[in-house]
Amino acid sequence: MLKVQKLESGYGPMQVLWGPDIEVKPGTITSLLGPNGAGKSTLLWTILGSVKARSGTVHFEGQDVTALPPHKKVDLGIAMVPEGKHLFKEMTVYDNLIMGAYRKEAQEVRDENLEIVYSMFPILKERHAQKAGSLSGGQQQMVTISRALMTRPKLIMMDEPSQGLAPKLVHEIFETIEKMKEEVGLTILLVEQNAAASLDAADYVYVMHEGSIKAEGTPDVIKGSDEIKEAYLGM
Amino acid sequence: MLFEQLSGNLIQGLVLGMVYGMATMGLSLIFGVLQVVNVGHGAFIMVGAFTALTMFQAMGVPPVLAIPMAFIIGMSLGMLFYYGAVKPLVSPSGIGIRKLSARGKGVIAGSVVGVILLMWLTSGFFKVNIAIYLFLGIVFLYAIALYIYGGRRQDKAAELATLLVTFSVGVILEEVVKQLFTSEARGYNWDIGKIDLGITVLPYTKLLAAMGSLAIAVILYLWFNKTRAGMAMRSVVEDDVGARVCGVNVDWQYALSFSLGIGLTVTSGVLLTMFIPVGINPYMGGPYTLKAFVIAVLGGLASPYGAFFGGVVFGLLENGSYTLFANIPGLEPFAMTRFFSFVMLLVILLIRPTGLLKAK
Repeated sequence: MLKVQKLESGYGPMQVLWGPDIEVKPGTITSLLGPNGAGKSTLLWTILGSVKARSGTVHFEGQDVTALPPHKKVDLGIAMVPEGKHLFKEMTVYDNLIMGAYRKEAQEVRDENLEIVYSMFPILKERHAQKAGSLSGGQQQMVTISRALMTRPKLIMMDEPSQGLAPKLVHEIFETIEKMKEEVGLTILLVEQNAAASLDAADYVYVMHEGSIKAEGTPDVIKGSDEIKEAYLGM
Repeated sequence: MLFEQLSGNLIQGLVLGMVYGMATMGLSLIFGVLQVVNVGHGAFIMVGAFTALTMFQAMGVPPVLAIPMAFIIGMSLGMLFYYGAVKPLVSPSGIGIRKLSARGKGVIAGSVVGVILLMWLTSGFFKVNIAIYLFLGIVFLYAIALYIYGGRRQDKAAELATLLVTFSVGVILEEVVKQLFTSEARGYNWDIGKIDLGITVLPYTKLLAAMGSLAIAVILYLWFNKTRAGMAMRSVVEDDVGARVCGVNVDWQYALSFSLGIGLTVTSGVLLTMFIPVGINPYMGGPYTLKAFVIAVLGGLASPYGAFFGGVVFGLLENGSYTLFANIPGLEPFAMTRFFSFVMLLVILLIRPTGLLKAK
């Protein structure tokens, strides 16, 4: 579904990505692991087009989308749950969700999607008129995920969705992610610091370090390699 | 007697305050979306004033009908201004400029007001031109110093560069209009009658200017809150990263909101001449820039409706304090009123740097 080849990008004089290759197969959870500063977030932003690719390619469903700006990627069905939520805190929960369906294509199926999101997170229906900034951290994360779902994505990229949440909520978020794969049929590219939980949920894992891919394989392969775990995952 | 005088002046202040508020909304919008302080604000008010004047004198169009024309001129100037001068500074790598804290915003606004105040005070001693070059020189040197020594603070250098650029655009506009119209002060006389309230007399033009301002503020509010396009712009104000992942074309929203801000400002120039139809000259913008900064800070800087509210408060305080000062023998009320508004600004910056209303 998503194929990244030899992608290079960065900020100003600083190059962050040094040509990682990854592939995300439809209907799977692909996990991207690695220490802080490995370039995982930059990889997601470059896939979305918010950070410009300097060389290399991004293919989505067979189409070369490397140079497309973010709003065109959203049209194609690539959604993003950014690190740090980035909600519209002064807007109501409902307005946040409506903003998720901003693009024309998403607007047409807005009400159906809203039903799906509300059935997944009933608490959001209850609190739809409340300002997003007044919710608890876990509920805010639900809004961020729901907002991404409202863009009617095929692929959803999640950057540290469990960051800053209590262990019980982390568990809930991972359950949600698996539900999105099983019940909604979404493909998920997941970036996580929480390597253990991420390895349990994933179908395939890439280990990233200093802007390139150092190892890849099924979760069992990664779990089985003490070398990888020690060198890159601090486990 | 004093009470009658005061309440009469407060009514004038309320009416003028709405026009002031409208004249500040563009400044606040641009600051809210782009974190750019448009130091050339007053020059765009001046363009609006000349639009009203020219259309009235040359074509006999009543100023109130010049509003759409002024808005179109403003939007076009805004687009040119944004793509020509501002965009290269604010979006280096496609990721939006970093958002400042409310206190940081207060500090920036405060320092800008300080510099302009300095210019204004020194312009009596020096020629105005010298003050301008002094200002440009100081900002430029500071920007260079930050660029060299700042390291990670190069975004600050870009911020200072936006001050320099918006200031220069303002000066260029003034000089162009001077070439077209000379620097002589002009005025027009559009008399459509007046209403006598007993304590004060209000010409219908003033009333119309205030109603027009209020109507524009309400339309802007509805547009921001009820329409898809308005919500998109609001989402960029609140969180540009969030807007991006929703599929909002953030770069276009920057251009659009900048241009809308300039459009509103030029329009307000028309409304201001309906209130004060004399003294229209290329350099008339200066005092309005100054007042707009005070009002914007009053209203919480980043919120256009806050600005409108701030304008009303400012109008009331300005006229109210004028009346009081005029009744104290030995005081020069005009000078005291100006002094008063700056004391007010300093006090607000000290106790509530986020403005009287919570910034949206």
